[in-house]
Amino acid sequence: MCGIVGIRLSEPGPVGRHLVEMIDAVQHRGTDSTGFAVHGDETSALRLSLRVFGADADPVALVRAAGGVVEEVHETEGAEDRFFRLTVAGIEEAGIRHLTDLLELGGGVSVHGVGRALTVIKDIGTAREVDARHGVSDLVGTHGLAICRLATESKVDVEHSHPYWARPFSDLSIVHNGQITNYYRFRRLLEQRGYRFATGNDSELIAVYIAVKMSEGRTLEQALTESIDELDGCFTYLIATRDGIGLAKDKFAAKPIVITERNGVTAMASEEVALRRVFPEEIDSYSPGEREVITWLSSTPIGSRPVSSISA
Amino acid sequence: MVELDADRLSTRELNLRLRELARAGEEVRVENPGSRHNLGVAVTDSCRITLAGSVGYYCGGLNGGADFVVEGNAGWAVGENQTTGSIVVRRNAGSAVGASLRGGSIVVHGDCGPRAGIYQKGGTILVAGNAGYSAGFMSQAGVLIVVGDVADDVGSSLFEGVIFVGGRLRALGADAVVSEPTDEDEALLATELAAAGIEGSFDWKKLVAGQKLWYFDKKEWEIWRTI
Repeated sequence: MCGIVGIRLSEPGPVGRHLVEMIDAVQHRGTDSTGFAVHGDETSALRLSLRVFGADADPVALVRAAGGVVEEVHETEGAEDRFFRLTVAGIEEAGIRHLTDLLELGGGVSVHGVGRALTVIKDIGTAREVDARHGVSDLVGTHGLAICRLATESKVDVEHSHPYWARPFSDLSIVHNGQITNYYRFRRLLEQRGYRFATGNDSELIAVYIAVKMSEGRTLEQALTESIDELDGCFTYLIATRDGIGLAKDKFAAKPIVITERNGVTAMASEEVALRRVFPEEIDSYSPGEREVITWLSSTPIGSRPVSSISA
Repeated sequence: MVELDADRLSTRELNLRLRELARAGEEVRVENPGSRHNLGVAVTDSCRITLAGSVGYYCGGLNGGADFVVEGNAGWAVGENQTTGSIVVRRNAGSAVGASLRGGSIVVHGDCGPRAGIYQKGGTILVAGNAGYSAGFMSQAGVLIVVGDVADDVGSSLFEGVIFVGGRLRALGADAVVSEPTDEDEALLATELAAAGIEGSFDWKKLVAGQKLWYFDKKEWEIWRTI
């Protein structure tokens, strides 16, 4: 099942706190794990969100070995492992692949997110538990996504939790409710082109698949629209980039999402009960239909409803 | 009239109170429904229950006699398996409005999501706005009226359910065929719309089963390809 939520503010604000509340309201949709992606102020340094499970693994040393200058280290205790959020200078976009490989391929470290604005926190447990361990509520930003997962297609562990980032592309994250049934086909095509997948989760594919399309020059909206024809299965997914949030819903429209836009805030969630944590008063909400794509990007004025429906 | 504050009651406590009050014939107003799920499920006596705002999934499910008014939005499967009574949703409803509805009526004044009236077995569903994908899917009996437009796949795999569409039709579902409404149909539509307070004239399309799926033989390759 899974519960997915997203929020976009008109100016930097308590995105982490909103996301924790929203997921808490739909936690009944999935209790295997909970994850958050928050887009904060864009910095010149790179933010790395890491899980360290190897007893001897030293993520700071590995980052230095890749040529990075570690400016800040924030460590938290996860359900079973240590988590690090590092701020690293001296790594360009082209160096992210090398840095990630160095961190991950030695064993002991997994990279949950990379970006100049993006922080990803995901762990086993509920929204409240993950917040208590990792301080999700303290994260400030302009927009973000979150998910409570009920595993259907792949393992129940931290690595198979969402959100996924688009290794090796920075500042892109995804949460997904559904199943991609032609997952292996697209994964093999991308692997042939040199992209590395870290898990057996079909949602990781969507992140990389969209990022590759955008790296080839497509807009987010174009990439999402193509995904509706190319990806088989039953899905509603949200994707966050530097510029905002996008949504795509498959042709069967069986995975719910409701949206409201109010007071300069756009919020979306699997169920309206999550929106009410942000807006306790009665709200107008709408639900996209089958084969619908919506984007809320920084170039779009807050409060408008930029809908691109390909089903008309 | 009895007022209940949903904020102060668990869903189970609220539903038990509603059953007791319905049995006593009280009229009830529930404040702060807060888009919560399963409100007013399994009320089996006749009474009026107003939910003063939006509700979540399965509101009024298994209804056996109450007349509900939802003053806001409703989530998935409002009134699923209702046998008698009525539900009026003042704003929009989610997927599967009146799933497996057996009797009574459901009126949605706004739009509704996909699969309205899925597996309907009786009763009447009226959607004043537009309806989403696969409306009336596998409906066995009863009437689904959509005053606005319907999305693709309307009336797929119908049995003896009937669908009326006042707005635009897009792709029909498997084995759905369009027929002319009879005078009896027009009278029924006029009655139902008047009861819901909907005015205007509409170009009604009636969808019924083409019955090819009823007697389907897998050796009939042409039908296999086209249905």
